[in-house]
Amino acid sequence: MGPVYVLTLRQLFSRWRLLIMTALAAFPVLIAFVMLHDGTAPSVGEFESVVLEGMLAGAIIPLVVLAIAGAAFANEVEDRTLANLTLSPIPRWQIVVPKLLASITIAAPFIALSAFLTSHVGFVGDARAVAAVTAAALAAVALYSSAFLWLGLLTTHAVAVGLGYIVLWEGIFSRFVGGVRLFSIRHHSIALMHALDERRFAAASHVGSTAAIVAAVVVFSAFVLLAIRRLRRMDVP
Amino acid sequence: MTTAVTERTGAPAAHRGTVFDIGYQRYDGTREGRGRAWLAVFKNGVRTSLGLGRGAWAKTIPWFFIGVLAAIALVIAMLAGRFGPEAYDELVSHADYYPFFTTIIFVFAAVVAPELLCRDRRENVIHLYLVRPLTGSDYVTARWTAFFAVLSAAVWLPQFILLFGFSMGHPEPVTYLRENWLDIPRFLLSGLVFAAYITMLALLTASFTTRRAYASVFLVGLFAITTPFTFALAAELEGAAGQWVSMFNLTQIPVNVNDLIFGEVNAMTAEMEIPTDALPSWVTVAWYLGWVLVPGGVLWLRYRRLSP
Amino acid sequence: MSGAAAPAPVIRVDGVSRWFGDVVAVSDVTFDVMPGITGMLGPNGAGKTTLLRMITGLADVSTGTITVFGEPVRDNPPLYRRIGVMSEHETVYGFMTGREFVRTMGKLRRVEKLDDAVDRAIEFVDLADAQHRPMGTYSRGMRQRMRLAATLVHDPELLILDEPLNGADPRQRVHFQRLLEHLAAEGRTIVISSHILEEVEQLADTVLLIINGKLAASGGFRAIRAALNERPYHVRVICDAPRKLASAVVTLESVEAVNVDPDGAVVVLSRNVRDLQVELPRLAQAGSIRLRRVEPLDDSLESVFGYLVER
Repeated sequence: MGPVYVLTLRQLFSRWRLLIMTALAAFPVLIAFVMLHDGTAPSVGEFESVVLEGMLAGAIIPLVVLAIAGAAFANEVEDRTLANLTLSPIPRWQIVVPKLLASITIAAPFIALSAFLTSHVGFVGDARAVAAVTAAALAAVALYSSAFLWLGLLTTHAVAVGLGYIVLWEGIFSRFVGGVRLFSIRHHSIALMHALDERRFAAASHVGSTAAIVAAVVVFSAFVLLAIRRLRRMDVP
Repeated sequence: MTTAVTERTGAPAAHRGTVFDIGYQRYDGTREGRGRAWLAVFKNGVRTSLGLGRGAWAKTIPWFFIGVLAAIALVIAMLAGRFGPEAYDELVSHADYYPFFTTIIFVFAAVVAPELLCRDRRENVIHLYLVRPLTGSDYVTARWTAFFAVLSAAVWLPQFILLFGFSMGHPEPVTYLRENWLDIPRFLLSGLVFAAYITMLALLTASFTTRRAYASVFLVGLFAITTPFTFALAAELEGAAGQWVSMFNLTQIPVNVNDLIFGEVNAMTAEMEIPTDALPSWVTVAWYLGWVLVPGGVLWLRYRRLSP
Repeated sequence: MSGAAAPAPVIRVDGVSRWFGDVVAVSDVTFDVMPGITGMLGPNGAGKTTLLRMITGLADVSTGTITVFGEPVRDNPPLYRRIGVMSEHETVYGFMTGREFVRTMGKLRRVEKLDDAVDRAIEFVDLADAQHRPMGTYSRGMRQRMRLAATLVHDPELLILDEPLNGADPRQRVHFQRLLEHLAAEGRTIVISSHILEEVEQLADTVLLIINGKLAASGGFRAIRAALNERPYHVRVICDAPRKLASAVVTLESVEAVNVDPDGAVVVLSRNVRDLQVELPRLAQAGSIRLRRVEPLDDSLESVFGYLVER
């Protein structure tokens, strides 16, 4: 597992990418700062809907993870180097899991820090709220990573499909069709955030924290298993 | 005598025969120049954008987006037909259409435009283009024009559907058209405004990376991330400051020009209570032009210095 | 009394077909591969790469079975311990040094005493000087050789090489051939695919000719040539009295036709070369004709190939 993990880290690591991710991670923190210090303090609801749900959960997390986890396998397929890994006498899960862990290793610190600082500024140091937001953000990173990793194996147009999912499915359709939220990672993570800190988010919470966590674990595992199955059955270029 | 027969009928005589040399022949025809090469790159750009001449999967993505845009327009047109002119105010008008659907148009460009530039540089095919009577700038202008043409057509199509719906829904279509004919040049111009802007930004981003995936994600990220906060902030700070902030929303830049063309604030912007008249109109237009011409210059320079 | 059991084939391909939609890439192919060097030959687009990808388990078959060392090769990762594959794609991880690349591949293939194995593999391909440079800086030939080192690092019994000499210059080609001969002499099984006839002719003991997705011929190429008995052999004779020889030779029963080239060579078409071998010197002596040169014109893989493609 080690060599695949290190190889993937090296493949995904690049100076430009790190710079862009740092900029992206800093953005919501700055916005939270500006929002709170410009005189008219917004309500929790506004802060939450614009910054946390709109920017962080709605755009930054899924896009950053798409660029990283989506690329983890898709780049190898495009470059035709995936065979180097599959022609090894190791079980397929020992290829999928390290790739996933490497993607999460790169994306998670930025997202976690961003979520932590943003909620720290926004909720003025309320420890439980900050923990809820950060945990939910990390859960979102894990869920999106597993989903996009699988997508990268499924099709060479992983990015197009991923973008369509993020912008159209989670962004637009979910506003009009309530049922879509059941199949939306964004709404799962937001539900998790609500469930973890009910005092603050009680009005919005519909799901208990145990149920939310269990759902997250199930979805994560399902995508990992799908990715392993796909790797076993696909034609490797 | 036999010759006479041959001349009359034109058929070759049986005792005459010719052997044709079907081996490799050099090309003796006219050799066309730079303009023709530009045109070839342009046509290829159009075909690539629409997925023509490639597999079914390549067609799915661009036509899906075009289909979504057209389908929504179709629904609105049918509602117009069903409910008549009284309902027109409630429906999405020509002025509102582009602002409402900027997201879809942006995602379309983000996914399709990088195909035009990234692939050739990644596979090093760009050099095959450059050894022809074609400079780097020719190549990029041809590609730009190709995507601009495709995007313009894609955004005009739903407007024409809307026009059809509105005019047919009116009890006297001819009267409707006579009263509202100005809408046509307006939405055509506005469509070009959107198409030019989006094409420019999409291709500029694509020129910075060889992997299409990164260009696409970066573009969508650019739009998706600036949108929520700039709107919220702009609504907060009123007046000129608020309007300036809203102008940093990349999706809003062409929308402001759209509003100028139609002479009214579109429904979406109005709903969000963003200040729109605090700054003189020439500022809006100049800002738009800046966001088109400066990236255009950068794109031009990046490709100009490529050599075979 | 039964003789010793025939050795088990290393690769057994049985009734294998592969289609992509309406296009049949490989059509009902059956053969066995034994130790030694087997050359897979065919025009571009004949289906060689698809067949090799199925043999290595990278692609699935549409029908038929493929076993390697007696086990099914698809979805059987432990088998890869014994197989080394070099695909036709030349992309490598440009940011890694050659040594790192071979080392990583060795680690993935669970090689023990890794550093020794890596050293040996790199020595074998003669790239010890360049091993610490990033592979992005290598020339094409060096990349190919380092890829071969990575294919060999785990000491596989079976080597499958798809167009390994693509773009190699003549010196590299000779070097590579020697490497392969050395490996085969150690008892390994090597399957090498190519569309370059000379390579396969020089290297391979057995040849598999794939044309339009079908197995057109298999075996030693001389034996294949003999099996194509509806085509006569062309033998070219250069002598000092071509027309006199021609008129004498045409009387032989085994000779189908005799041509005299504009440059004075006599080309004899015969179905029975052995007969010609005996009769030709006798005729020459009887007519006091001096024979300068007698050579078979189509005893090469190229001509076999040509005949089969035309059929």
